[in-house]
Amino acid sequence: MANLNLRSTQERTYQAIVVGSGISGAWAAKELCDLGVKTLMIERGPDVTHLKDYPTTNMLPHEFPHRGQLTEKIKEENPVISKCYAFREDAMHFFVKDAEHPYVQEKPFDWIRGYQVGGKSLMWARQVQRWSDFDFEGPARDGFAVDWPIRYKDIEKWYSHVEKFAGVSGFKDGIAQLPDGEFLPGYDLNVVEKYFAETMKKEYGGERHVISARCAHIHGSAEAFTAQGRGSCQNRNLCQRGCPFGGYFSSNSSTIPWALKTGNLTIRPDAVVHSVIYDEAKGKATGVRIIDRLTKEVEEFYADVLFINAAALNTNAILLNSTSTRFPNGLGNDSGVLGKYVAFHNYRARVSGEYEGHAEYTTSGGRPTSGYFPRFRNVYKQETDFLRGYAAGFSAGRGHGPNTDGIGMDLKNNLLNPDSYGPWHVGSHMMGETLPKDSNYVALDGSLKDEWGIPQLKVSMDYDDNDEKMVKDYLEQMTEMFTKAGFTNIQTSDSKQAPGLDIHEMGGVRMGKDPKTSMLNANHQLHAVPNVYVTDGSSMTSTSTQNPSLTYMAFAARAAHHAVAESKKK
Amino acid sequence: MNRRHALRHIALISGGLALIPSCDFSKEDILAAYENLKITATQKALLAAISDSIIPAGEIKGALDLAVPDFILVMVNDCFTQENQEKFTAGLQAFPDYAEKTAGKKFADLSSKEKETLLVQGLALTGDENPEGTVLAQVGYFLSSTKRFTIQGYMVSEYIQTEIIPYSLIPGEYNGAVLISDLQKPRVNG
Repeated sequence: MANLNLRSTQERTYQAIVVGSGISGAWAAKELCDLGVKTLMIERGPDVTHLKDYPTTNMLPHEFPHRGQLTEKIKEENPVISKCYAFREDAMHFFVKDAEHPYVQEKPFDWIRGYQVGGKSLMWARQVQRWSDFDFEGPARDGFAVDWPIRYKDIEKWYSHVEKFAGVSGFKDGIAQLPDGEFLPGYDLNVVEKYFAETMKKEYGGERHVISARCAHIHGSAEAFTAQGRGSCQNRNLCQRGCPFGGYFSSNSSTIPWALKTGNLTIRPDAVVHSVIYDEAKGKATGVRIIDRLTKEVEEFYADVLFINAAALNTNAILLNSTSTRFPNGLGNDSGVLGKYVAFHNYRARVSGEYEGHAEYTTSGGRPTSGYFPRFRNVYKQETDFLRGYAAGFSAGRGHGPNTDGIGMDLKNNLLNPDSYGPWHVGSHMMGETLPKDSNYVALDGSLKDEWGIPQLKVSMDYDDNDEKMVKDYLEQMTEMFTKAGFTNIQTSDSKQAPGLDIHEMGGVRMGKDPKTSMLNANHQLHAVPNVYVTDGSSMTSTSTQNPSLTYMAFAARAAHHAVAESKKK
Repeated sequence: MNRRHALRHIALISGGLALIPSCDFSKEDILAAYENLKITATQKALLAAISDSIIPAGEIKGALDLAVPDFILVMVNDCFTQENQEKFTAGLQAFPDYAEKTAGKKFADLSSKEKETLLVQGLALTGDENPEGTVLAQVGYFLSSTKRFTIQGYMVSEYIQTEIIPYSLIPGEYNGAVLISDLQKPRVNG
């Protein structure tokens, strides 16, 4: 491999390096830059500049040759990524194709990845629910994984900090397990969703809530966001293409341009991180070794502080590949837990139905979110035969379209005047907490390497008995709730989908109080290498039942401020 | 039913095509644009005639004016599994004889009304396990796929979505309780 350390060491030295430009990496970079830190942000994929690199954002449906559908050829070549709901003709250029970056599935795992500046923040589902102490205290109370070294009070102000900047729409619902935040006006539930919410309140003594899910969209006044160059969400529901209004939060529309404006940020795209460099004499990490994605040339970059936010599994891979005399099993891995206790969210089960009521109503316009059931199982005490619980999505929509019977002029007129209304359709999906365990792990493969000579990642994750019981309970409970609401034609399904398709993989570099059983301390630093911070999904000790991205953002902001405070002490 | 019997039945239903399946192709070039399908210009013209019956031109344009036949073939070529492509093309191949046998005339010689009647009948075909049934099922599959793609290609066309029922990239603020009786839309006359 050619070594291209031709430029002087000084030119390649920054105050901080952030690996990864996705939701957590770019938040770390933005905070560091705001605090005056000269920061290098490294991204393995190509650059995606806001507005400029959204090739499909304003395309009309007829402009897609297959009207959005995937071709058989693409599906055959991409059995994994084709399963992702957002991998369609309009946004497939933002997803990693199967053949490009192979990995080893010791057990089936659908790894959904976005390798570009902005990472998956471009195509994420934008759901931002806060975690609560029912989540942070979970492992200690229920005796799994290890205790989180932090509690809600440690992270509360950072949630507020990131919500105000990212823009979060929602209502103050006053639910203990789903703390309220800094909200822009929320999106109303529709008439049937409201009916269902009221019915649940009555039927379950106020213990089961259906709310409008909080989402990272600018709604109501956009005034606070003009400095970022962002405007209100226009309800296009084409977010996965990149938004020309900056209506939803992404690294590309928000944190990255903001950080660039400070003059403190340098972005190095097309740089595949090989490993973190550990200096045995200094007893700390001094930089990262990268391989240029295109030229394959090796280069090193140096900094006092490093943030490894390469996305959950890739952060594991980088640390596992960062070996030295001091750390033969991966950086900071004295405990041997690196790569272990990975977990995910269980999205297997769905329930659907119909509702004949409210037949005089329909909906109009668009909205970027839908209904949400915060966890109601085992919240205050253990009450089922499985640990933890699940949140659930819930939405109702009115089937509205043309009558497509027959052919000829009658069909044509029906198509052009779509005034036939079916019943309301209602649907729900589960998002179950899975328990991190020793037997679910990622590791480097002993022989297979990628295009850059880096060992491929081997993934071994599976469901367990707790998950099976939870699927069963969700299906029973949701069926019961749909029945109580008078919904009909109730159908249940269990997709048995492999882990990974939830795109909520977490852990492997978990936080904890004890260096013997965890990788990171309460400040998101590697116990053994405190100038290395990790605040992406890999740092999660447990998975909760909330979408995790907001928590990564809050962790990244919190850790960046900690790093700067530490450097000032010296 | 023995095999010979079965073959004769297919031959009756499909006009001999089942026994000499390539005879049609030897006379005419296969259209190269649809590389996974063995479609001739004559068959594409037949497909066009069928889509024209499904959504005819009137006060506003019909399927034929909007290159819908080409859209149908692109979708079948690119988005169908090989198995479904074979079903579709077998149905397309068998259709002329099905038409003649059922309506007593070549499809092209039927009146608009007769074409509609024949297509409605054909769309309802589900077939069964025996050989004739298989061919009928292929005809039914071909027609229902053609109808589905005709509707999609027509409705999601530039003409409809810009001139007739403009598609909005900005659908407006959500209203979760709209009274259907308050919705007054001008009727579009096809």
